[in-house]
Amino acid sequence: MAHDVPIDRELDLKGEVCPYTFVKSKLVLETMKPGEVLRVIVDHEPATGNVPRSMESEGHRVLSVGPAGERTWEIIVRKKE
Amino acid sequence: MFAFTEDEIVRYSRHILLPEVGGVGQQKLKEARVLIVGAGGLGSPAAFYLAAAGIGTIGIVDDDVVDLSNLQRQILHRTQDVGTPKVESARRALEDLNPGVKVVPYRFRLDAGNVMDLIREYDVIVDGVDNFATRYLLNDACVMAGKPLVDAGILRWDGLVMTIRPGEGPCYRCVFPEPPPPGAIPSCQEAGIIGAIAGIMGTIQALETVKLILGVGETLTGRLLVVDALEGRFRQVTARRDPGCPVCGENPTITQLVEYDLACDIRGNGAGDRTAAAGGAAN
Amino acid sequence: MDISVNGSQRAVAAGQTVAGLLAELEMNPDVVNVQLNGEIVPRSRFGEVSLKDGDQVEILMFMGGGAR
Repeated sequence: MAHDVPIDRELDLKGEVCPYTFVKSKLVLETMKPGEVLRVIVDHEPATGNVPRSMESEGHRVLSVGPAGERTWEIIVRKKE
Repeated sequence: MFAFTEDEIVRYSRHILLPEVGGVGQQKLKEARVLIVGAGGLGSPAAFYLAAAGIGTIGIVDDDVVDLSNLQRQILHRTQDVGTPKVESARRALEDLNPGVKVVPYRFRLDAGNVMDLIREYDVIVDGVDNFATRYLLNDACVMAGKPLVDAGILRWDGLVMTIRPGEGPCYRCVFPEPPPPGAIPSCQEAGIIGAIAGIMGTIQALETVKLILGVGETLTGRLLVVDALEGRFRQVTARRDPGCPVCGENPTITQLVEYDLACDIRGNGAGDRTAAAGGAAN
Repeated sequence: MDISVNGSQRAVAAGQTVAGLLAELEMNPDVVNVQLNGEIVPRSRFGEVSLKDGDQVEILMFMGGGAR
């Protein structure tokens, strides 16, 4: 899907279920610099609600959540400063 | 920064989820070295929870063998372990729970001759000893070496815990300057003990240790947590660093490790006798 | 006068000493540590130190057990 925000890292978590969708996203985010943008791909629908919610509770900014193909979604998040 | 296996990610997922831990914190736990002195009532829950948490190296000091009477509260050990060395039983239990932990057994009694070399190898020391002589020895050694010590004691239905951070808060002697007269305080084998109080206090020791390693929260430094389990009361007592403390004060009078001879009446007649131990000079 | 002992209010006679308080509480002075308003009272002074109205006393038991 088109997006105008440059993506710094991409993480393919197809096949993962909660809470590993968030746990693995969090682990990658920890290694990134503040302000960088991560794109996470999931195919487990509850993750589209859970991951953004957990990301925001940790202070990161979820830029968008949307479809990324057949039964697949992308979550784009900016690491907090 | 960190490279966890798939198994580790799953095993520690509930830790990683916590804002105070994350992958960064879990890596700190993995690199940490904790020494637990005593594989008994306090050491059992402390060791279990520290192994579960993923502490990379856990040293266990105990020269004793498992006795049937231990099993009422020393949950590291099983019925089939009776007669075997506690450190071996402990190693088996901890490795079963978490094969990723390296358990280092020390099957000897801590004394002034071995304590300094031993504690230098570790980041945090957990005191699960059953007697005052070793308790004071460990306190003095940790203060001299600048090692954080998580100290707890239990008796009957009561427990007490404090985290000693040398230079930052009071040490054991700031609160209890001298050991009690020999025979004045019964040991667990004389007075009895309700098993779960060991669980509560040893588990708090594990929590304090984890907080020290992660560098989060507030430790029980400068305060004691006193538990009266029979009445269901938890209270906090402020403890101040004593500038006149003989070991951590401004003008320490204890500069060599001291081994008290506090043989209790059950074993024989012991008059409290302070003897300076040979080879126990502090650096 | 009123003092606080281990967090609870207690009425004691004016001029009561630490030793006297321990006797009232049936506690053996050899096995406890006493803090008065945050300061440790040396055991040797239990008989000399008098309590005042509003004093906060904490009595800590020595607890040696852990492994045996």
